[in-house]
Amino acid sequence: MRLTQAILLLAAGAAQAASSWSFDDASISVAAKKGSDAIKEKFSQKTPLTKPVGLGSTDTVKIILTAKEDGKAKRPHQAFVTIKEQETGLEAPFPLTVKDTGKAVVQISQKDLPVQFLLSPKPLKASVVIGSFGEARAVNTPVFDIEIQTDPNTPLPKYEAPIRYGKKPEIHHIFRPDPQSPPKVISLFFALAVAATVPALFISWLLLGANLNHLTKALGAAPLSHITFFGSIVAMEGVFFMYYTSWNLFQILPVAGVVGIVTVLSGTKALGEVQSRRLAGER
Amino acid sequence: MRTLLSFLLLALASAVAAISTSGNRLLVVLDDVADKATYSKFFADLEEREFKITYETPKSDSLTLFNLGERTYDHVLFLPVRTKGLGPNLTPKTLHDFVNAKGNILLALSANTTTPTSLVALLSELDITLPTDRNSLVVDHFNYDITSATDKHDVLLLPPPKPIRAGIKDFFSEGAGTKLIAFPRGVGAVLGNGQLLNPILRAPRTAYSYNPKEQAEAVNGDDLFAAGQQLSLVSTMQARNNARVTVVGSAEMLQDKWFDASVTKLDGQPVVQTFNREFAKRVSGWTFQEIGVLKVNWVEHHLEEEGAPNDSNPEMYRVKNNVSYTISLSEFAWDHWIGFNVPEHDEIQLEFSMLSPFHRLNLKEESHRLAAVHYHTVFTTPDQHGIFNFMVNYKRPFLSHIEEKNTVPVRHMAHNEWPRSYVISGAWPWIAGLGSTVVGFLGFVALWMYSAPVDAGKKVTVKKTQ
Repeated sequence: MRLTQAILLLAAGAAQAASSWSFDDASISVAAKKGSDAIKEKFSQKTPLTKPVGLGSTDTVKIILTAKEDGKAKRPHQAFVTIKEQETGLEAPFPLTVKDTGKAVVQISQKDLPVQFLLSPKPLKASVVIGSFGEARAVNTPVFDIEIQTDPNTPLPKYEAPIRYGKKPEIHHIFRPDPQSPPKVISLFFALAVAATVPALFISWLLLGANLNHLTKALGAAPLSHITFFGSIVAMEGVFFMYYTSWNLFQILPVAGVVGIVTVLSGTKALGEVQSRRLAGER
Repeated sequence: MRTLLSFLLLALASAVAAISTSGNRLLVVLDDVADKATYSKFFADLEEREFKITYETPKSDSLTLFNLGERTYDHVLFLPVRTKGLGPNLTPKTLHDFVNAKGNILLALSANTTTPTSLVALLSELDITLPTDRNSLVVDHFNYDITSATDKHDVLLLPPPKPIRAGIKDFFSEGAGTKLIAFPRGVGAVLGNGQLLNPILRAPRTAYSYNPKEQAEAVNGDDLFAAGQQLSLVSTMQARNNARVTVVGSAEMLQDKWFDASVTKLDGQPVVQTFNREFAKRVSGWTFQEIGVLKVNWVEHHLEEEGAPNDSNPEMYRVKNNVSYTISLSEFAWDHWIGFNVPEHDEIQLEFSMLSPFHRLNLKEESHRLAAVHYHTVFTTPDQHGIFNFMVNYKRPFLSHIEEKNTVPVRHMAHNEWPRSYVISGAWPWIAGLGSTVVGFLGFVALWMYSAPVDAGKKVTVKKTQ
C-alpha cells in the first residue's frame, strides 16, 4: 500500500514536472510621456536583463509577454509583475491584463509605485509570477531591475515610517560642567601676597614707634576689665570663626549676644581706665 | 487544624481557578449546534484549559453580552454563520463595548460563507480591512497542499511564523520542527498602519486573494484586493486596555480534520504533519489572555549615596543624586506566573522625564525570583530641578502593555549642600584676606589701648629762616 502510494506520488510529481507555465516574447519598453518608445528590450525566462531599466518621473514602463502552458499560449489566472524594494523587502504586485490568447501587458509609471519605492537607494527588483489552477507548475522568475530616476526639480515625496513599538535609542543627560577654579599655583601666590600684608603692617607700625608700654600700667589699674575686654573681642572673632566652620545662625546668635554684653560691660571699665590715662596726659 | 484546612482549600481553589488571567467564561457563536462536532478537538482543548463554554446561535434570545452593566462572558469566539446579520444582541456597538470592557474576541472567517456585516463593521473600525466583495478566497499556486487541493490551490501550507522584527517574542513557532500550518479556504485581510495591529501569520509572497464568482478566469489589475505579504491570514489587534481581538482567516483550519493531518507541499517533503492543533492552542491562548500577559509586581526607587539614608520610594530627590530603580515583572504562561525575560535584542527602558526624557536607560536584569524577574539601573538625577516621572513604558507586539509612572520632585541644592569655600582653591586669596583683616584688627585694638606715645614731650624745633 505504502509502495503504491509512493509510486503514485512520484508519478504525480513527474507529471507535474512535465506541465508548467512559462512566458515568451517578453519585452520591456520605457516610453516618455510624449513621444514614441525610447528603449525596448527583450528578455526571457532564462535570460533576465543585466542592466537596470531607468524609470524617470514622466516615463511609463510597458511590459509585454505571452503566457504559455506547456508551450501553448493560454490565459493564466495569476499573471503578476511583482516589484520588490531591497532595503525593506516591501513588495507590490502589478497584475498584467491578459487576453484569451495569452498576450499580457501592463504599464507602470512612477505614480503607480508606492512612495517607499521612490525613496529607495538601491534598484528595485522585478519578477514575473505566472500561475493558474490545475497541475501545471507555476513560474516565478526575476527578470529585470528598475532604477528610479527622480526629477531634480521636484522635491522627493515625504514618507514617515509608521509608529512601531520597539526599543528607542538610549539618552544620557549631559550635565552642565562643574564650576572650575584657576590653577592652585595662582591662588597660592595671591593668598600669600595677601597674607604678607600682615607682617608688613606690623613692621611698619614698629618702625613708626609702636609699643605696648602701658600694658603693665593698664593691667595694674584694672586687670579684670582689661583681660575680659580684650578677651571678649577675641572671643567674638572666635564666634565668627565657628559660624564660618560649623555653627549656624541660631547657634551663634545667643553666644554672640552673651559675648557682646560682656564686651560692653567690661569695656566701660577698661576704656574708662584708658580715658584716665588720657586725662593724665600720658596719651 | 481549622486554619490548615482553610489554607488547603484556598490553595486548591487558586490552583483550580488558575487559568486565563481574565476569566474563563467563553461564548461560542455558531450556526447550529451540529457544527460543534467538526471542531470537537479544538473545544476539547479549550475545556481542558478550564474554559466554561456556552454555545449559542446568533439569533437566540438568551444571548446577551452584558447584564446590568457587567460582561456576562469574558471571551467570545465567532465561527462562520450563514446568516447575513448577527441579530440585535451582537450589534457592532455591543461588540465594541465588549472590547472596551476588556473582553476578548476571536473571529474565524471562511471563504465559503459571507462575513456578517456586524463583524465587517467591527473590523473596519479596528482598521482590519476585509475584501469588499464578500466571497474572497486566498490561493497560492506555489505553496499549496498537493493531496487535497491539486486543482484549486486553496489550501495553503505555511511554515509556522517567526517574529517579523528582531526583539519580538516568539510565541507561535516554537517547537514546530518541520510541521506546516494548513490554511484551507480562508480570507485574507489587509491591516492598517496602526501600532496596535500585528499580523501573526502573513500570506506567502506569491499568494493573492480573488473572488471565485467574478474573477474565475483571471485577476485583472484594478480588481486585485491584495497579494503577497500584505495579506494577513491571522491578524491581531491589542487595544490600549489590553483587550485582544484576533481574526483567523480560515475557520476550517480549526476543524478536526486539519488537526494533525498529513499534507504534502509542492516541492516539499513528502508527508508532513500539520501544526494546526498547537497553533490553534497558541492563537486562542494569546487571544484569551493565557500567554503574553505581563504584570508589574512592584516598583522601588531609592537614593544611592554613601552616608545617606536609603529608604524606599522617598518623597523627594535633589539634583545630581544617584538614584537606584528596580521594577519587578512577571509573565503569565498558560496557568501560572513566571518571571518575564525580555526577548533578545529588546530592552526594557526607564525614562526619567519632565516634559521630555532626560534619561532613557536600558534596565538590566538584576535577579530572579520564583515568579518574577527584577530589572534595575542606577543613574544620576539631572542638574535641572522640577517634577520628574519615573516612566517604564513597555509596549511590544503580542505582550500586554506596561505603563508604570511614579512622579517625584527634584529639588535644588540646599544652601548647605554646596562645597565649602575652603575646599575651593580659587577662594584661598579671599580667605587669606579674611584672616589678615582679623589679625590686623586685633593688633590695632591692642596697640591703641596699651601703647605709649612716641616722644610725647619732645618739642619739634622749627628753624625759622628769619
